[in-house]
Amino acid sequence: MKLRWPSVTRREFLNTLFTGWFIAFFAACIYPLLKFIYPNLEKEPDFVILNAKDFLEIPNNSTKPFPWGGKLGLIFKKDDGTIHALKGVCTHMECNIMYKPEERKFYCPCHKGYFDQDGKNISGPPPRPLEFFEVRIENEKLIVSKKGVKVEIPKG
Amino acid sequence: MRFQRVKKWVLERYDSEALRGLIKKKYVPSHKYEIFYYMGGLALFLFFIQFLTGFALALYYVPHPEQANKYVVDIVTKLNFGWLFRSLHHWGAQILIGVLFFHCFSTLLLKSYRKPRELLWITGTILLGISIFFGLSGYLLVWDERAFAAVRVATGGAGSIPIIGQYLKAFLRGGNDVTGETLARFYAFHVSILPFLTMILISLHVLLVQYHGLSVPLFLEGEKLRKVPFFPNVLYKDFMIWLFVLGVLVTISVLAPPEIGKKADPYAPTPEGIKPEWYFYFLFQTLKFFPGEIFGLSGETIAVSLITLAAIFFLAIPFFDRKSSRGEKSRTFTWVGVCYTVYFLVMTFLGFVT
Repeated sequence: MKLRWPSVTRREFLNTLFTGWFIAFFAACIYPLLKFIYPNLEKEPDFVILNAKDFLEIPNNSTKPFPWGGKLGLIFKKDDGTIHALKGVCTHMECNIMYKPEERKFYCPCHKGYFDQDGKNISGPPPRPLEFFEVRIENEKLIVSKKGVKVEIPKG
Repeated sequence: MRFQRVKKWVLERYDSEALRGLIKKKYVPSHKYEIFYYMGGLALFLFFIQFLTGFALALYYVPHPEQANKYVVDIVTKLNFGWLFRSLHHWGAQILIGVLFFHCFSTLLLKSYRKPRELLWITGTILLGISIFFGLSGYLLVWDERAFAAVRVATGGAGSIPIIGQYLKAFLRGGNDVTGETLARFYAFHVSILPFLTMILISLHVLLVQYHGLSVPLFLEGEKLRKVPFFPNVLYKDFMIWLFVLGVLVTISVLAPPEIGKKADPYAPTPEGIKPEWYFYFLFQTLKFFPGEIFGLSGETIAVSLITLAAIFFLAIPFFDRKSSRGEKSRTFTWVGVCYTVYFLVMTFLGFVT
């Protein structure tokens, strides 16, 4: 059957066509754009290997920084001479912390958070204890690893 | 006369009568509270100064984590008048944000946001937010220890917003942590994305002011107010204020150049006594008041969620305040306005003294 009048006008047809075209075009652009502007996230390392002699010699009751991925790591020698390693980043707002030897506490200057020598959050806003790592010395290397991560260095 | 010929050239092509009509017809109501009318114009003037000094600084600055700090030092020590432009840009931003807060709170308290000016309120509030982000992104560019810590805290705070927080944080930082990627991103925000949005929003805001005219406080509505022509009476007053503020700005810039801290080092401990810029004090203090944990939930998440809700409510005030829109007295929203203003003032004051 031939219609005497078309059911849509030419203008309606073109408007629909162009609206659909614009929507399809922008929808197709949005996905790659979002994927592009959202960065590739690098994971924190599971372990790092340091030169033992650079860190074993530090005085008792002091710390020395090392790079933990892009973040601050701290090697910490207690009064009794034992070596510990921890992430030097406050659990509140991620500011770098410092060790106050005279108070025997870790301290975050951003919002005045304190942690004791074992990393326990004792005052101020920090919600969680500091993250301590496992430390092992092997062939003059200091292996700092996340708790529960097994690291084996190939010999030679 | 050459000028006459130029004038004739223009008049032959453009209908200046329409423009002249607009200029002649533009009147501004005059009353006791008219001082608040000048804040928007002043903000516009200061935006202009920020653009101008920013253009100059952008000619030399390089957003690279190894060199950025050195380049800023070079700009202020080696280039002709570099110290002046950096100082003007820094202090101009401080004054601008102060003026914007004043403009915003006076609009809130006088309820000028009421119908039909809801969109003015929204564009203005977004502009205030953008300006604060301008401040944050701008002071990371100095790439010193203070900026580094402040941006870590601010973007970390954004990470505490429920659901979208982690994505937002990674987007802002360009990764898991504040690094050179963050510097590149903040540079892009500061010199291209935010200026573009600012231009659009300012144009819209100013156009809307022209369209609606200036708001008269509710309690003066219906009274017979004297009307003053914008050209030249009000414009001259605008100029007076601009000149005065420019004088203050240049004086401060010459006498108190902003410091440049030690180059940011992701492995260095955060320096002692660190504070954000003053316009973050109200957020900074709020975060300090929340304990680490409340009923097993992270205090930070609760604080940031409350701040987010308060900001959304703030933006939507014209739509909640129905009474003012009908031209009635609205006690509740007077109190809402007073609460926001007092909270901001008290927290900012506490930020200064603690």
